[in-house]
Amino acid sequence: MKSTFLSVLALAVISTATAQDHGGHMGGMKSNLPTMPADMPRWINSPGADHLFYKAAPYNWAINRIPAFARDMYGTGVGHAMAYETLVTGRKDQLETRIFDSINRVLQNPPRNPVDEVALSPTFFRKYGYLEKVFDWAHILHFQTIDVFTHPGWTDAQKEAEIEKLWQFYSAQPYAITGLPMNMEYLDSFPYSMRFRTNYPKVNALFWGYHWLQTVNYDMLFRVPVQDQAAQYEVLGAQYRTTELYKIRDFMPMTAEMSPRFAKRFPMIANAFDNLHMLHDNVNDILASDELSESQKRDQVKIAIYRVLASTHVDEEPGSGEDAPGTLHDHRHAPSTPGMGYMKGMEDDVMFMSGMGWMDMSACAHCSIPLPDGPMWGATVTADGWTMMVRCLMCARDMAAETPGRAIIRAATEDPSKILILISDEEGNLTSNIPGVVFLEEFGEHPECSAWSRAFTSKAAFEQFQKGNPEMKEAKPLSLEAWVQLNQGTPETYRKIDKPNPYKSDGANGGGK
Amino acid sequence: MKLMNTISKSIALLAVVGAMGMTSIASAHEADCPYCKLKLVQNTKEQDNEVVVKVGNKRIEYRCLYCVIKDQKRYKGDLVVYSPSEKVGAPVILKRTAGKWSAPEGAVFLNTFKKHKDCAALSRAFSNKEAFDAYIKKNPSEGAKAMTLDQFLAEVAKS
Repeated sequence: MKSTFLSVLALAVISTATAQDHGGHMGGMKSNLPTMPADMPRWINSPGADHLFYKAAPYNWAINRIPAFARDMYGTGVGHAMAYETLVTGRKDQLETRIFDSINRVLQNPPRNPVDEVALSPTFFRKYGYLEKVFDWAHILHFQTIDVFTHPGWTDAQKEAEIEKLWQFYSAQPYAITGLPMNMEYLDSFPYSMRFRTNYPKVNALFWGYHWLQTVNYDMLFRVPVQDQAAQYEVLGAQYRTTELYKIRDFMPMTAEMSPRFAKRFPMIANAFDNLHMLHDNVNDILASDELSESQKRDQVKIAIYRVLASTHVDEEPGSGEDAPGTLHDHRHAPSTPGMGYMKGMEDDVMFMSGMGWMDMSACAHCSIPLPDGPMWGATVTADGWTMMVRCLMCARDMAAETPGRAIIRAATEDPSKILILISDEEGNLTSNIPGVVFLEEFGEHPECSAWSRAFTSKAAFEQFQKGNPEMKEAKPLSLEAWVQLNQGTPETYRKIDKPNPYKSDGANGGGK
Repeated sequence: MKLMNTISKSIALLAVVGAMGMTSIASAHEADCPYCKLKLVQNTKEQDNEVVVKVGNKRIEYRCLYCVIKDQKRYKGDLVVYSPSEKVGAPVILKRTAGKWSAPEGAVFLNTFKKHKDCAALSRAFSNKEAFDAYIKKNPSEGAKAMTLDQFLAEVAKS
């Protein structure tokens, strides 16, 4: 008891000190442009193309097994290329009108094959070829990880081992972005920061909309049998094309926000993607800053690249940086979420999520009870553009049922190799990827809900569970049709975190669920 | 980091369990209205405020009756709407069956809000005209008139 008290006291002291240092540092960052570091890698000044390509593998282009998804992903290559070419050729006054229409038209009618971004942005490439190397290389990682997950015939273990190899393959090159969590508030704190999203909100919404697509897809694929992937994309693709591309967000979508299961398993890749997307934002902001000369823009782009390169953070560890909060080497992350760097206003596991408000990522989004430790957890719910972790099937069902629109529930069963995928239509009717699925729901205390609300791949598996859990011997297996009719409402344990939106200066409430 | 994680989770669990045992905070589903995106107004001891739409297996909360009618096109099936009335725990139940709306006999409707921040108070249902008059006496609103369901639907449609 005494040691616990001392630990709590120590935590409080650390938290207070961190917050104070952080605030002080951020104030200073705003006033000056970052300066060129002494150890800038030499390749950044090389005019060579240094073109890299996919790791040779049998799974390459497996993304085409989900044609609508593949096309939407190919379309994402177009947006930034068109916007960058517009910015570097002095046509930024057309961004929110003609260029928006052009990008939007492509995203709504995406290409059938990958697009050569250089062909769309020749001037940009001539001026910023070194940046394209970093983008290209990370985009290849994006696509190849997706290819692995969509490749049929491999076990989950084989796929995960291959993803680890891909990460090594990626990290071996000088253009690799770090897989360490980075402080997002710091990366968004420079004199030019937020310029693009402020001046060009419609085009920025398109960019963040396809960053949503690029991050939400991983939980659609991770440990999900290939035959169960495409059905989910019918829901996600519609959400992307009708809503997410036009949503004005407070901050870019983060990988661990959109795909928490994947981010928990591969935190370094989740971090690399977030760092990549923040580099995109930095570059947008730099190119959109009229007060910067051409030379200053080139320097600032190089410095922005330097900040996120793996070579800048050699020998640094995830979780380090308590002694330098809010700086380049702040690699702290939420205790429950190693795949996400510190966000604005974040305190331990509590962070602000656009569209959801303040959330405790270590707790069930529906009943507020802490999630169990371990690599996997009860279920996730994807609806209305967000993905949330919940403790049990009951919380997943009821959360989906109280959210307008279609929803996807991904849940553990008694068989670790069989994830249950439930897809809800607009009226809450569910379809399952496991035909004989049965449910246990013996309503009890919420802190134990993951014990009495579960899914089983068959009635036999349910009965097997009962044998090992005699307290459940009276429980009856519920069919999907019977189970979906139940609704226990909002749990008494639910606690909303009521704090102002950190991205709004008017003190607007965080809103959300 | 792992130790901190374990400690913070233990504290959180203790806090939740403690809150359950020592207080009787009413459960509250605090979300945003799917239509106007403003926060739902919670029920109080004196007055219900949450409008609940039951569609199939979904149970969606709205901020006011106006928001429900404006957002109804997204639902293809039949709807049941539990609209707060003058009496706590006794909603006026509206139904949309095969596309046609119906309300209990005698029910009347108010719809005078100018800005959505006022919609929960000024777009409501009442079980009868007397209840409407009593509410308006207590909450005066310019131009308030008791409307039938058809009048209410027509007014929302033209706004």
